[in-house]
Amino acid sequence: MDETMKREAVKTNQMMGVIAAISGWIVPGLGHLVLRRWSKAAVYFLCIGGLACAGLAMRGGVFSAGAEDLFDRFGFFADLGAGVFYFLAHQIQAAGPDVAHATGDYGTRLFAAAGMLNFLTVLEAYDIGRGSEPR
Amino acid sequence: MNFLFGKLTHFEAMLFFALVVSLTFAFLSKRGTSERAKYTLWAFLAFLLVAIGIGWLMYPFSQ
Repeated sequence: MDETMKREAVKTNQMMGVIAAISGWIVPGLGHLVLRRWSKAAVYFLCIGGLACAGLAMRGGVFSAGAEDLFDRFGFFADLGAGVFYFLAHQIQAAGPDVAHATGDYGTRLFAAAGMLNFLTVLEAYDIGRGSEPR
Repeated sequence: MNFLFGKLTHFEAMLFFALVVSLTFAFLSKRGTSERAKYTLWAFLAFLLVAIGIGWLMYPFSQ
């Protein structure tokens, strides 16, 4: 393989990694679906989607972008990881959050955990897309 | 979604959390069905053990 072809292959791999990572962030599991990792895509979608929906159904709080203290900013970052579930949180959670009760507080943690788990799957999708050996 | 998750008790929510996180970790870190199943079971039980253990440790402070 000559140098130009090698460079093209590296560029294609980089591109595939970025596409997989972005789609995996927007919809959990979609990055793996793009990479034809069917079982991983299904498991990630069901687990992360289920966790996010459970958090919202338990009336957990969702942190917004305009947070002022550091804890809320971390919360926003974690929640943002849930992708489409974060953007549709207000539609899914019609009754709104209720963090005055323990169940609502628990829901807040479940939703944040869904976001953080999705960040891990996004990193894996990026790695696989770049052509690294899948684990 | 409320019909599925709206009425979960705290213990059921913890079981659900432990199961989905264990399953996701297994798919992230292991290859092959049996390896993943073993890891899921191990992590699930570890989550439960630690959660119940911490619950017992905190019990005296709740009085």
